[in-house]
Amino acid sequence: MSSHSAFAEAADALAVSVLGALSGTGGAVQLARYVDDAPDTLAALAAVRVLGADVFSPHLLGGDPFQAQDAAVVAKAFDAFPASGAPDEPAVAHRDHATAVLLARLSGDDTLRTVAPAPPEDAALAPRDDWSGWCVLMAQLAPLAALGLDGPVHEAARAGVLSLSRGVSRSILRRDFPTALRLVRWLAWLRHEGAELPLDPDVAAEHAWLVGGTGPRTALDLAIARHFLEQRPGTPPKETARP
Amino acid sequence: MTTIPEPVTRAARSMADRALSWLHANRNLGGLPPDTTETMADPDSVYKPLGETTLAASLILRDGVAGPGRLAAAQSLMDFTWEQFRHGDMIYERQLRHTLMTDPLEMYAPFVRCGYRHEGLDRLLAHRSRMRSAGSVEVLPNRRLAVANAARIVGLPATEDMGALAAATWLGARPEPWAVNWITAYAVTHTVFHLTDWGADPGGLPPELTDYVRTWLPVWIDVWSEVGQWDLVTELLVVGASLEDPYVRPEDWEAVAALQHEDGLVPRDSDPVDDDPQQRFTDHQHTVVVAAVAGSIALARAGQR
Repeated sequence: MSSHSAFAEAADALAVSVLGALSGTGGAVQLARYVDDAPDTLAALAAVRVLGADVFSPHLLGGDPFQAQDAAVVAKAFDAFPASGAPDEPAVAHRDHATAVLLARLSGDDTLRTVAPAPPEDAALAPRDDWSGWCVLMAQLAPLAALGLDGPVHEAARAGVLSLSRGVSRSILRRDFPTALRLVRWLAWLRHEGAELPLDPDVAAEHAWLVGGTGPRTALDLAIARHFLEQRPGTPPKETARP
Repeated sequence: MTTIPEPVTRAARSMADRALSWLHANRNLGGLPPDTTETMADPDSVYKPLGETTLAASLILRDGVAGPGRLAAAQSLMDFTWEQFRHGDMIYERQLRHTLMTDPLEMYAPFVRCGYRHEGLDRLLAHRSRMRSAGSVEVLPNRRLAVANAARIVGLPATEDMGALAAATWLGARPEPWAVNWITAYAVTHTVFHLTDWGADPGGLPPELTDYVRTWLPVWIDVWSEVGQWDLVTELLVVGASLEDPYVRPEDWEAVAALQHEDGLVPRDSDPVDDDPQQRFTDHQHTVVVAAVAGSIALARAGQR
């Protein structure tokens, strides 16, 4: 019987696999094979849902081909763990929808967008005086800091450069390094778009990782941030999908 | 016109008035021991706190925004500390004995600000200011700013380039804001205090440093409030009130005002406050001084047009 810890272990294992593909050391991620070979299929599907849009990062950033059977696995994961409809979980709804958008785009099957409908307009996304509380939400939405996505969350990030920068500084000072790296990922995405930032995300990322980085999922945030930072600022994505 | 929201002026008034009352009511707990000479084994124990109390009183008198009773209390405090220093003789003797020490000049400056002068010390400081040796003492850049500002207040010839001094500080480098630590945060606050002459000259802080401070002050106030470092938080409030366009968030000011005890004590941190009057004074006098300064500067900025 699958347990919460089995789900967490499976998510970490999948993150290691995605990291390997992203860095070019582990071969392409083959989601279908990952699920087929997993000792606990339900946990493996849960891992696909937990990583969400990040499972596509080797395809988006590295250009790895995306297979039809892998698309089927993501759709199956949504069958096993349906998209959140809870109004008190806006971050989950945005993450689910982003996963669905990328799934549809990479598979070429637009009907797959329906596995997670677009969340309603969310006033909580707008940057506000309570920048630290807003940054908690944006850290939860870090998987949306991905090549090829654009929408209300990204508009909020563009309007919240100062708040995100403050959030990175606050998180490092509070020694909350996973949150720091999630927010650095947003700054890296913004830098890739050509935004001017009040702090250097590269130094902040390296510091947060060296001092307190741990776990494959945090390493994945760092790796994706690095991909953005290593590309020339202002380089437009080849194709952008609007959720 | 400088914009200070009404909730901030209300909190600032409460902080400044009650802090001054506490400093005045407890002033004898901060008096120098009768046998104190110019050569002190531990200048930080009483000598330095007396200077801090003098500073707070001098700024309240300078800003002139307290009510008549409070101004009289501030004047009374100045008279008390001047008396403690034997009308300047002790400061003079300390400078005479220790040529390279800078604390006599810094101790004297708030008195000069309020019209207290010591003829011998004036002559000695003027002589000292011409000595290359005195100007070459190796001190941290933010401390060098403190000395330069004190010299400016005392009226000594300007020998320092304030801009160059500012650039040599940690703040002047506009470094990674997430790398600041507790002691460096105090270096930042003092860099701003001296460059702005305690809020009287906001333009003394170079524009690029003003922008930097304004960008990161909310973060620093947030993290040190979370861990209850109220002395540092209150210094950061002074910094915010001293900017060209003040950064004064009502919630921050109300949080510190709410911490203040009925008698005016402001706790330095979130640890329990001792019941012993002498221990209370020793532990929290600095924070009360900072609260008085913060309140006075915010009220003065609110009154500017």
